[in-house]
Amino acid sequence: MTRLGLYTTIIFWLAMAMLPLVVRPWDLVMFSQLLIYGIAAMSLALIWGQGGLLCFGQALFFGVGAYVMALTGKGLIPGIAASAWLGLGLATLSGALVALLAGFALFFGQALRGPYFGIVTIAAAVIVERFATNWRYIGGYNGLLDIEPLSFALIWPGLDSAEPLAGYLTALLAAFAVFLLLNALVRSPFGTVLRGLRADEQRVASLGYSVGLWKTIAFCIGGGTAALSGALFAVQFSFVSPAVIGFAMSTEILIWAAVGGKEVLLAAMAGAAVVKYFEAVLSDAIGHYYLLVIGIIFIVVVVALPRGLLGRLFELPRPQRLRADGISGHTQKHRERADAAAPMEPRQPAPGKQEDGT
Amino acid sequence: MILEISDFHAGYIRDANVLQGVDLSVRAGERLAIMGRNGMGKTLLVKSIMGLVRPSAGAIRFDGMAITGMPTHRISNLGVAYVPQGREIFADFTVLENLRLGIIGKPALRSESFDQVFEWFPILAERKSQRAGTMSGGQMQQLAIARALVGRPKLLLLDEPSEGIQPSIVHEIAVTLNRISADEALTVVVIEQNVEMVERLSERVLFLENGRIAEQANVHDLSEDPSVIERYLGV
Repeated sequence: MTRLGLYTTIIFWLAMAMLPLVVRPWDLVMFSQLLIYGIAAMSLALIWGQGGLLCFGQALFFGVGAYVMALTGKGLIPGIAASAWLGLGLATLSGALVALLAGFALFFGQALRGPYFGIVTIAAAVIVERFATNWRYIGGYNGLLDIEPLSFALIWPGLDSAEPLAGYLTALLAAFAVFLLLNALVRSPFGTVLRGLRADEQRVASLGYSVGLWKTIAFCIGGGTAALSGALFAVQFSFVSPAVIGFAMSTEILIWAAVGGKEVLLAAMAGAAVVKYFEAVLSDAIGHYYLLVIGIIFIVVVVALPRGLLGRLFELPRPQRLRADGISGHTQKHRERADAAAPMEPRQPAPGKQEDGT
Repeated sequence: MILEISDFHAGYIRDANVLQGVDLSVRAGERLAIMGRNGMGKTLLVKSIMGLVRPSAGAIRFDGMAITGMPTHRISNLGVAYVPQGREIFADFTVLENLRLGIIGKPALRSESFDQVFEWFPILAERKSQRAGTMSGGQMQQLAIARALVGRPKLLLLDEPSEGIQPSIVHEIAVTLNRISADEALTVVVIEQNVEMVERLSERVLFLENGRIAEQANVHDLSEDPSVIERYLGV
């Protein structure tokens, strides 16, 4: 495996960090949106690309995050103070909680698999969208306007995330934190189990894993992440409507992850930017037909490039713990311990790999 | 008795039982082979022990505990390991990642090293960073067995481990498994149609026919009187 992915990943984040130096404030706002969409794409990349859970309803979590953020910011949740920062935390937790409940319903008992799981998640997203459209308290069809921005008054009096640079840096920091966290997870033993589930659930169960439990944990983390991006979206646009929670948004997230490359977090994230960019260019050029072209691109990528457009570009080298040279140090220690414990019986070293690393 | 199965009925389809009253018991440390023609329910039997198939009647006890109807992962964590037919290693994973998956779910074994299995199966040590799907059938089979063994099971279930593997490797695997079982007091139950494998590995043989255990034999008697094999495996 090459180190290409490592370099491209570093370059990507450096470029994002330098961006405010070269683009105009208005463009910064657009880039903040792309970063926020990117977080949603990463949340799906975790559960779909790694865990094999093709969720057609990721916007459900995104939307829950957006609405909880909006309601908390406006002080519309009884008993909870109006605070944007509190809203950000609550939104993330709500997304994880909804995913937890959904996980228990979907992954335990007569667990739903494959296409059935996908169909139920589509249905859930449609139902929740209808529900949000008809619930007056949360704005119904019109949604909620004038959502509180995140305040940075502690840093500079009167500063908040509505200011383009502050808003951009908030989105960038959140995206980078999510990227680091999810990447650590994917590269940890947890990631190994997730990829095992993607390959074959029964096999993983035979090795002693509660399939339902592991899927639910993954779903919670994905749900919380999607809700965080929804919350940032609400702050950024200062507006939420039932469109953020429903079927169309779910499909968009799915397309971003698939086109970018669902198995590599950063590829999925960049996928959001690539798709959104082409949407903008195409809609300028051919009007409403752009949807048709995007649809065709999606189909072509899924069929011809299962790893997405950017999967190879951003694929990181394998974690140290799964590389032979990384393990031998550990093995060496173990061997020394074993020798100390039984000095009369020196172990037969495995052929070919006697003393590497010493 | 480490494994006791009594009056066991099961099938893949409701009301169509393939196993119709299986009774068997296995001593701790024993190496038992179960033979029989295709379609007699051998795979169904090991899948039932593993909790992958729900029985319609009967009981399975492992190490004194009733495990009938228990979820698969709990049976695994009690100390039953399963090497399915067709090996079913994770083709996209490296050898090491496959082995890791054998212990991540068992917190007591988290820090375990793989020295022991690498000694049993040296080829895996040589290929530890290779993608498992690119190995030969025999190597994959050794990996599948090693992945089961790193979880420190008390009972190892093997479903046709010789299938599609060249004879010299079959011999090698059988000898290694025999040695591991003797050294580690590991109980082995193997489903097999390959007589060479059965003779090298096991002590006792059960013949499954028409959903029941039809006969049992000592492996030594089997080599003296091959007519039993003929009766239950011949076509």
